[in-house]
Amino acid sequence: MGVNYKAVQWNRQKKNYDVVLWMIIGGIVLLFSSLQLVIHPEITAETLIIRTSALTAFVLLHLILMIGPLARLDTRFLPLLYNRRHLGVSMFLIALIHGAFSIIQFHALGDVNPIVSVFTSNPNYQSISEFPFQILGFIALLILFLMAATSHDFWLKNLSPEIWKGLHMGVYLAYGLVIAHVATGALQYENHPVYWGILFVGFTAVATLHIFASIKENKVLTALKTNAVNEGFVEVLNVESIPISGAKAVFIHNQNIAIFRYLNRISAVHNVCKHQMGPLGEGEIVDGCITCPWHGYQYIPENGRAPEPFIEKLHTYSVKVIDGKVWVNPTPKPEGTYVEPAILEQQ
Amino acid sequence: MSSDNFYVGWQDDMPPSTKKFIKKLLLFIGLITVSIVVLIVVFQKPFNNHVFEFGNTTELTGVYIAKPYPMLQLTHNSAALNSESVLLVGFGKFGAESIMQDIENEEGSLDLNEITLAGTLIYGDGVALLELTNKAQSYVSRSGNFRQPLVIDKNSELITLTGEILDPKCYFGVMKPGEGKIHKSCAIRCLSGGIPPVFRVQDDNANTFRYYLLSGKDGAYINQELLPLVGQVVTLQGIPYSHLDWTLLEIDPKLNTLISGKNE
Ligand code: HEM
Ligand code: FES
Repeated sequence: MGVNYKAVQWNRQKKNYDVVLWMIIGGIVLLFSSLQLVIHPEITAETLIIRTSALTAFVLLHLILMIGPLARLDTRFLPLLYNRRHLGVSMFLIALIHGAFSIIQFHALGDVNPIVSVFTSNPNYQSISEFPFQILGFIALLILFLMAATSHDFWLKNLSPEIWKGLHMGVYLAYGLVIAHVATGALQYENHPVYWGILFVGFTAVATLHIFASIKENKVLTALKTNAVNEGFVEVLNVESIPISGAKAVFIHNQNIAIFRYLNRISAVHNVCKHQMGPLGEGEIVDGCITCPWHGYQYIPENGRAPEPFIEKLHTYSVKVIDGKVWVNPTPKPEGTYVEPAILEQQ
Repeated sequence: MSSDNFYVGWQDDMPPSTKKFIKKLLLFIGLITVSIVVLIVVFQKPFNNHVFEFGNTTELTGVYIAKPYPMLQLTHNSAALNSESVLLVGFGKFGAESIMQDIENEEGSLDLNEITLAGTLIYGDGVALLELTNKAQSYVSRSGNFRQPLVIDKNSELITLTGEILDPKCYFGVMKPGEGKIHKSCAIRCLSGGIPPVFRVQDDNANTFRYYLLSGKDGAYINQELLPLVGQVVTLQGIPYSHLDWTLLEIDPKLNTLISGKNE
């Protein structure tokens, strides 16, 4: 059962992921710089580097932000999520090239320390069109650095998934800063409407996907408001509504619970993966184990424990099935507690 | 037992249906990215054709004019340049004053003397500059010839002009773009380091420019006062006068500077 279970380490899919990722990066760099040299041969090497790295990082940042909601809306996008960490770190490194070259180009060899100059050269804080846009990029780069530096699972464990997740929500702040950086910076000079159009479409795509994904999630959560309660058990859903070897997530009494249907049984566990808080209820049963949709962490449905030698444990919940309806007791059992699964009558 | 299209990252292969979907998706991402890249390059503003002869040292001979900004009035034609004078600037984001001061500390006063200097040429739109690096590498020789001081005729009226204050070193060749918002911080650094401020004014109904060297009254150094106005559209009032092949505009940054609201 647990033999082919691996934590997130190097594996074939990951290598494929990185190969494709760097083909995309190489493609953008090659296409952008060769078009520049053909259409704008007067361009300087510094501007070419600054703009190529800016565009590449910007495209990757949009991809990163769209993958989450896309995977929520349609599980076929999950492979993009699997190695999103490498996507993030690559994006940071490319943004770092952009930031470092910009600081050298525009601030080095002057009468003030270059970093100080980023913050003091342009003091027009009260104006939008003249705003010191480089500071916005600088802060965004710092946030991306913190995220890249703590991206390893070592930090995930040490900071606890909750704090880690909070830190990595910083990507939204960084994204907002970068949008403002571009709008008050490059687009005050390169002000063709096509540029504003691209910025607008990118931002709208990211925002819309997030809104749709959260609507979908809320539908699942709010569907269960007035439920029958009996001896601590709450009626939640029809057995038939749970896909075979799959799950449905419910949110009752402040508990986020994933209810799994496998073989002819029903088990319920906490819906939050111990790895990066992935939605277990969107996972499936693989080789008899609950399998997280994000990076494939596994748990035994009856006791919520990861198979040996892994040690992750989930809260479990008591369940019963009456007349084709699933009832669950929303009081969580201590993590890793064995709970007798509800047995379905043979159809 | 799991459904056919559930993806598990640590398994060796993706389910075939997922694989097909991902291939299509990558094609789609590729097409969108290519279109964005093409649009961005095609709609980018063209760069000017100004030249910075990076890595190439040129010797120029001419009369050294120290005030208000260090210049060389060329006495031997230089093939690449179609200007009568070159503006001297220092290495990095600095003016040439301190290098010329170092040279004069050793050679005595050079003002109005014919000298030969070595440096890197920067030129475009009829204007030329020479970037000096340091005393040892920049000073070549003096010929012993000298000229009388320039006669300056300042009878002109006060004029009002709208344009952008630039640093000429970047604008005339070192950086592209060397103007506007993108370059603003750099222009501020350059002027702060003593590079002479240049005011660029677009001719009416034409895509051609006139350039003015800016100074305070009687050539006073006003770079620090100009910093808040660099890299945007401003309106200035001043008294113009001819200085070699330049027009100098004497302004009072406190009294005569109006910032115009519009951007371009
Ligand atoms: C230290 C931090 C940063 C500095 C000093 C900086 C500086 C600049 C400068 C000077 C430009 C205008 C360059 C030009 O168009 O020629 C620019 C444009 C841009 N920056 Fe940044 N930036 C920083 C961080 C970032 C980060 C983290 C991103 C995120 C991806 C980013 C994305 C962009 C984009 C998309 C553009 C427009 C590209 C273009 O003009 O072609 N920047 N930045
Ligand atoms: S496996 Fe990474 S969040 Fe579940």
